[in-house]
Amino acid sequence: MPASTVVPTPSAPTGTRRTSRFTLKDLVLIVVLGVVFGFLYWALVQAWTGLSILLGPAGDLAQHVLLGGWLLVAPIAVAIVRTRFAGVIAEVIASVIEVVFLGSAVGPMLLVAAAIQGVGSELPFALRRYTSFGWGSYALSGLLGAGFVFVFSAFRSGWYGQDLFFLRLAIQLASGVILGGLLAKVIVDALAKTGVVDNFAIGRALHAQARG
Amino acid sequence: MSWVGAVAASPLSRRNPTVKLALLFLVSLLLLVVFDPVTPGVLYLLGLAAVLGFARIPARTLLLAHLPFVGFALGILVVNALSRPGEVLVDLPPIRVSVEGLVVGSALALRSMAIGILSIGFIATTDPVALMTSLHQHARLSARVTFAVLAGYRMLQQLPREWQVIRQAQSVRSPLRARGGTRFGVRAFGTAAFALLVVSLRRGERLSQSLESRGLGRGPRTVWRPVPLGPADGLLLVCALGAVLLVMFVVGALGLSLGPDTLF
Repeated sequence: MPASTVVPTPSAPTGTRRTSRFTLKDLVLIVVLGVVFGFLYWALVQAWTGLSILLGPAGDLAQHVLLGGWLLVAPIAVAIVRTRFAGVIAEVIASVIEVVFLGSAVGPMLLVAAAIQGVGSELPFALRRYTSFGWGSYALSGLLGAGFVFVFSAFRSGWYGQDLFFLRLAIQLASGVILGGLLAKVIVDALAKTGVVDNFAIGRALHAQARG
Repeated sequence: MSWVGAVAASPLSRRNPTVKLALLFLVSLLLLVVFDPVTPGVLYLLGLAAVLGFARIPARTLLLAHLPFVGFALGILVVNALSRPGEVLVDLPPIRVSVEGLVVGSALALRSMAIGILSIGFIATTDPVALMTSLHQHARLSARVTFAVLAGYRMLQQLPREWQVIRQAQSVRSPLRARGGTRFGVRAFGTAAFALLVVSLRRGERLSQSLESRGLGRGPRTVWRPVPLGPADGLLLVCALGAVLLVMFVVGALGLSLGPDTLF
């Protein structure tokens, strides 16, 4: 993406990028993302709980297949808002909505897990100073998000010392890259095309890019 | 649960939401380093007694709320029993149950039960609006964040209806199958989910404009219906934490406690 070669002009705020302060609009967008994904997860989990009880031990393994889906909020929020900590805050707010408003009984440790995976998902974008949003960055985001939270969940759920440890890790990382990374780019690009995020950092960047 | 019905009056519902949340968080953190089945088992029973005594949840609701985490707990127990190396208890190929697996598995299963019952107690006795107000008053969360989350909460209440409308609009246009119904596969779920996302983002933008036009985030604010924080809340915190620490201490003194090194 040649966004970094754009010449800053007085009318285009992309030249003097602020990556440290949220506007109220950004916060509401992050909350809305958390709410919608929280609702969709909740709908899926309703179907999922029955299935996982039927599957028994296999259901415990199958959670890693879908793990990447839980990471989606962070890269989407980062890509649209392009502000520091957007990914972490988006994950934490999504988990608050799940625990407090939708009544998930997994408990408050979900908040900690969310913060950890948010850090992992946001890191690749932060290292490139929120200017690089190619397939590679998204894939790395999913990989790190899934990897970071694995270390925490493995301790919490006692996966260390199990025969299945490396199988779990492999499935979870693959899921992170595909569902939590690449799928996020597909969604972000589709959202940008609808014009609904034109008034956010992503819209300004695309606009500047189209003119430059 | 909390978004379906109003919170019924009970001793626990009168306590400060921030204190209850902090308590839930602290107990979960303490349980994170416990790997024996006795401590979480006792704490589950204590939690159940407290919820029955102080939360006034109907028995049926309480039982139904158990379903998700009992299923989760069973899964953890079975996987650990079957997949953890150690002293073999049952050996019927391909099934092999180890003593270590059974101990760690039941410990983790009971931990999720203990956290689960406390979460139920918290959710069933806490009004989300009061929680956000209290977090603003007592945890110094900025008004912009709490208002954004509350706006999200209102939106969440409308989402099921929105989802239904989108699904109905889609099924009207989709081809009928031989038996008269329409298909609802992964692809249809994806389309409906994306439509829901776009509609909600639009509404969110309008919402933030109206919040800003009312001057939210400019200077300090007063609170409508402030949430009280009193000595009884301190008492709750001290008693509950004291009970948890006492159980951990007694179990340790009896020589029954196990730490994280059990895993390795």
